[in-house]
Amino acid sequence: MINLKDVSYVRLGSPDLESAETFATSCLGLQVAERGKKALYLRSDDRSHTLCYTEGDPKGQAVGFEVEDEDCLQQAAATLEHLGHRVQAGSTDDAARRKVRSFIGFDDPSGNHIELVVRPERSGRRYFASRDAGITGFSHIGLNSTDPARDERFWTQVCNARVSDRIGDIPLMRVNAIHHTIALVRAPHAGIQHVNHQVQTNDDVLRSFYFLSERRVPIVFGPGRHPTSGARFLYFKGPDGMVFEYSVGVDEIEDEATHRPRQFGFEPTSFCMWGSKPAGMALPSDQ
Amino acid sequence: MKQDSHPLVVSVCYVRLLASELHASARFAADIFGLQRVAEKNGEISFRSDNRFRTLSFSDGLSQSSSIGIEVWDEQALDQVEKRLSRNGFAVSRATAHDCQLRYVQAALLASDGSGNSIDLVARPTQSGRRYFPSRDAGITQLHGVGMRSTDLDKDLQFWKELGAEVSDWVGDIAYLRIDGLHHRIALYPAKQRGLLYAAFEVETLDNIMQNSYFMQERQIKIVQGPGREPCSKQIFLHVEGPDGIIFSYVNGMSEMGPARRPARQFPLVPESLCEWGSESKDVPELSAGVD
Repeated sequence: MINLKDVSYVRLGSPDLESAETFATSCLGLQVAERGKKALYLRSDDRSHTLCYTEGDPKGQAVGFEVEDEDCLQQAAATLEHLGHRVQAGSTDDAARRKVRSFIGFDDPSGNHIELVVRPERSGRRYFASRDAGITGFSHIGLNSTDPARDERFWTQVCNARVSDRIGDIPLMRVNAIHHTIALVRAPHAGIQHVNHQVQTNDDVLRSFYFLSERRVPIVFGPGRHPTSGARFLYFKGPDGMVFEYSVGVDEIEDEATHRPRQFGFEPTSFCMWGSKPAGMALPSDQ
Repeated sequence: MKQDSHPLVVSVCYVRLLASELHASARFAADIFGLQRVAEKNGEISFRSDNRFRTLSFSDGLSQSSSIGIEVWDEQALDQVEKRLSRNGFAVSRATAHDCQLRYVQAALLASDGSGNSIDLVARPTQSGRRYFPSRDAGITQLHGVGMRSTDLDKDLQFWKELGAEVSDWVGDIAYLRIDGLHHRIALYPAKQRGLLYAAFEVETLDNIMQNSYFMQERQIKIVQGPGREPCSKQIFLHVEGPDGIIFSYVNGMSEMGPARRPARQFPLVPESLCEWGSESKDVPELSAGVD
């Protein structure tokens, strides 16, 4: 069993790092941690970085998950290889580029590039946002899946994820007490469907709605509230079509032993209890 | 306030409105806004929002007038209010038995504020034995307060102060008036013409504000402003355009004032003093903070 502790970072390719930085700082509200020649590191919380834009193809994406230590990493590599995944051991240079001690890379069954990392760096200085979006940290990702049932088995049986709730056959999965860290989304190909940052209050969600609307940032879903996690949310589109989410008030699963996933019907009210409708963003389809 | 034991006025207890199209207004109140229709008599259709018999009514104007009802503590308080207002030159008259019947109250004083808005000061408004059961799940819990257009702010302020109201905060010359433990129940907006600006109904949670917002959007009902949040009172609001240009508002989360008294705070007359989230009103000058 691969024991994921938390999601650590997202790496996104972009042909235009300058536009990515403008969006990340003036709209999303992250802090620039470091500008390399071909990479832009962004902070959202105590960690040294949680989002990295690398110069290149937007399809070049990766999600990093933290594991306990080097031993766990080696065991994970063995487990994955045994199951037939091609596992790449990260070089020292590549680990430094990820601000981690060591890592391995592999593709999940849908083809999403996943990295398992040991000892991701934290920063001594506190996070200081570029705009007052109220961000408290990078929290979860929506991950495309070409076969949600198969991928649920991968995340819950090969890894330690647990299903918190399901909408249709779409699982929302946790790796710690937070309602979900990975939300699978049925799609024809691999990819990161959205990147979530938590904000402090309802006020921040609504303020950002007006702030981003005024700046003509496409709001693709919300303001709304997920009946599953209880979170109030806003989804909007950033560079290269990537969808970002702000949310607040994600439930925690209080009793790990007795929690049973609830089944929600595959219908709009299962995604938003307020009545907002997605616009310009594919809702996960059930077919 | 001279009374140590109890305040003179207790609550905003009803809004009586004239409707140019009575039945269209009634449909708005029940089917769109989500109140409970309770009675149709004396040329008037009445609606409930809480345990009171009715808090809103529309009439055709033939047999009724429009007015705002303010509940006073009791009949003695009514006498005191009468003395105070007439001493200060406000026109007041005792309601006849017929007037009281039309208003579903036991006793009333019919007054005009400084702008000429009709204010009924009423004792013992009728309550309902049955619980409130609305026509749709808008989450309404009570008639919360009113926003009044004022053409003579000084005189209107004097009127409300005679009733025991105090200014909680100012936005420019917009005055938020408190009559109980909450930040305000009555707000006075400097305006070119008198009249009711909005009737505010409290809902249970932010969820209801947002659900109602999408409900209105889907039905192409005009949202005048919001969802938004008043920085002074912390109240979340959604201002919806109702019949005859009257705004019907859903509100939630107004702050309490607490036991410690503080002077009224002055906020500048700019849009962010009326909404800290960034919603703006384009068409209603009283809510636009001087921005055209």
